[in-house]
Amino acid sequence: VRDALLLIAAFVTSIAGMGWLALSMDVHWRQVCGNAFGSPAPTKRLRALGTLGLGTSLVLCLSVNHASIASLVWVMALTAAAFSIAFILTWRAHWLRLLFPPARPTAG
Amino acid sequence: MFQSFRSAMTWIHTWFGLVLGFVLMGAFFFGALCVFDREIDKWAIPEARFEVQPMPSFDRVLLPEFEAMSPSLETMQIWGIVADNRSSLIDLVSIHETSAQGDARTERVVKMLDPRTGKVTNGDHFKIGSEFFYPLHYSLTLDWQGLGEWIVAFSGMMMLAALISGIVIHRKLFREFFTFRPGKGFRRSTLDLHNLTGVVALPFHFFFAFTGVLIFVGQYFPIGTTQLAQLHELHEQLEIGESKIPTERSGHAAPLASVDAMMAEARRRWAAHGMPGEVGVIHLRFVGDANAHVAIYPAATNSLQDLLNGVHFNGATGAVLQVDPAPNAVQQVAGFLTGLHLQPFRHWPLRWLYALGGLAGCVCIATGLLFFVEKRKHQHAKQGSQAIHVVDALAVTTVTGMVIATLGILIVNRLLPDTLPAGWPRHDDLERYAFWFAWLLAMAHAFWRTAPVAQGRMAPAWVEQCWTITVMSVTAVLLNWITTGDHLLRTLSDTYWPVAGLDLALLTVAAIAALAGRKIKRRAENASMIAESVAQDAARA
Repeated sequence: VRDALLLIAAFVTSIAGMGWLALSMDVHWRQVCGNAFGSPAPTKRLRALGTLGLGTSLVLCLSVNHASIASLVWVMALTAAAFSIAFILTWRAHWLRLLFPPARPTAG
Repeated sequence: MFQSFRSAMTWIHTWFGLVLGFVLMGAFFFGALCVFDREIDKWAIPEARFEVQPMPSFDRVLLPEFEAMSPSLETMQIWGIVADNRSSLIDLVSIHETSAQGDARTERVVKMLDPRTGKVTNGDHFKIGSEFFYPLHYSLTLDWQGLGEWIVAFSGMMMLAALISGIVIHRKLFREFFTFRPGKGFRRSTLDLHNLTGVVALPFHFFFAFTGVLIFVGQYFPIGTTQLAQLHELHEQLEIGESKIPTERSGHAAPLASVDAMMAEARRRWAAHGMPGEVGVIHLRFVGDANAHVAIYPAATNSLQDLLNGVHFNGATGAVLQVDPAPNAVQQVAGFLTGLHLQPFRHWPLRWLYALGGLAGCVCIATGLLFFVEKRKHQHAKQGSQAIHVVDALAVTTVTGMVIATLGILIVNRLLPDTLPAGWPRHDDLERYAFWFAWLLAMAHAFWRTAPVAQGRMAPAWVEQCWTITVMSVTAVLLNWITTGDHLLRTLSDTYWPVAGLDLALLTVAAIAALAGRKIKRRAENASMIAESVAQDAARA
């Protein structure tokens, strides 16, 4: 059970990481919020969060399996996470606002 | 010849992708199915539908079967037992010499044993997953001179080239990393999906194409028997000299010691080294001789290198001869690279991700083919060329036709009676014929019903084959119920996932195909309405 929970956490953090990386891109920020970055642009913060998310996911994978298998699980989890984010951006872009509270349409 | 590096790369990507895409699509699709090969086996062989069991007693259960399989102990060469961590029936393989017409040959007898009863199964069963889809994905089952393996390996090489040239010609690799725009016209959305499935799953595509090519390296760089033959022989002799494992019979008869005791000793040693595990593979040679050799390997479950932990015994005394040495750096790297492709482990989340990665590869190749057709069909229609008709027909054959062939073999597997009338071919042959015949029919239909593409219109073949897939998938699930009584409610409440999983997957395929068929049909109708109104406007003007 512990391993299953840790693996689920690894998937969740990789999805969040990919989500933050996507939000750090102007075009996707627009998809999510409907307007361009405010100033100062949160690009750096989002990239740092994204890297942290993917890194945490690797640590979680390593805590469950032998390194040989954990590295494969991580790479495949990143792939699945990137697909999920791409499809969320296509059909339910506003969901990504959950990841980053400042990401909301600004009035006017 | 080319104006720029990019245009050269575009040429390679387009034309090699077109020619070899059909082969690669098969390699990826059947490769993805192979993630579940043992589960497909259980669907296809109702007798195998039970939980995986530990290795039964050799001395009491397996030995009598082997004695029955071999004509005599003097001619026995190898007895092998393979009980991997996902198969319920155990494979027994006996290889013995036959001296037909004076020259020494070997004969191989394979039986499947039910470890619960200790009885071999009756009849000739066909493991559709591990004995058909598996070889199909790397050799196309074209065995003559290893031709299929050469074709797939060359395609794998070109897949690597296509990945790299694809990165070169992709203008916005990072900017469009997460981009899929289904509303922006068919050509744009096809290209988006092609890029998305190619780029996001790039590590998967790269490593599977690369390790797939690597696994068969001995086939196309046979340096051990050519350039480095002498070194190879010398190395072999050195290894034999260092090893305590006998390489020939002593000539002194001696009965076989208890193999059960050897299995217990092997398990004890693995546990002592922090790698507790069940026995997966047993290998016996020279049984009945004082030089009898028994090798015991664990069933790989937890890491990619379990199979390197063999323990070797003297079969006559039961004493440990030697333990496989810890793999050196080269063996570890090789073990990792081949292990990541062959996936001996039981890690289900990773296996599912592999299957989805393989399907993403199929989507990537299929959208590449569709894009090729879409980009050229109007131009070809103006020129009156039939080339695009051929490409579209082949695309239908590979995308939907391949699924139809797969469903064909599953349906025929459930329709054939357990015992066939005298004079009929064996089960495996009949099921293979069904597969290729279904594919051939799909191809004929594809060529017949893609003719409108040459006029720049949508081919009806796509919709019709989607409906066919829906009907066939549901039929396969129903036939499984009728012939075995294992309907989904039962397999789900028993949580027997091998069969429930395949049934659910078939129903999912049916639903996706139905949805796709409806969408394509609606789009074709819209397109023809627009074309008509354009024609009417033109006539009025």
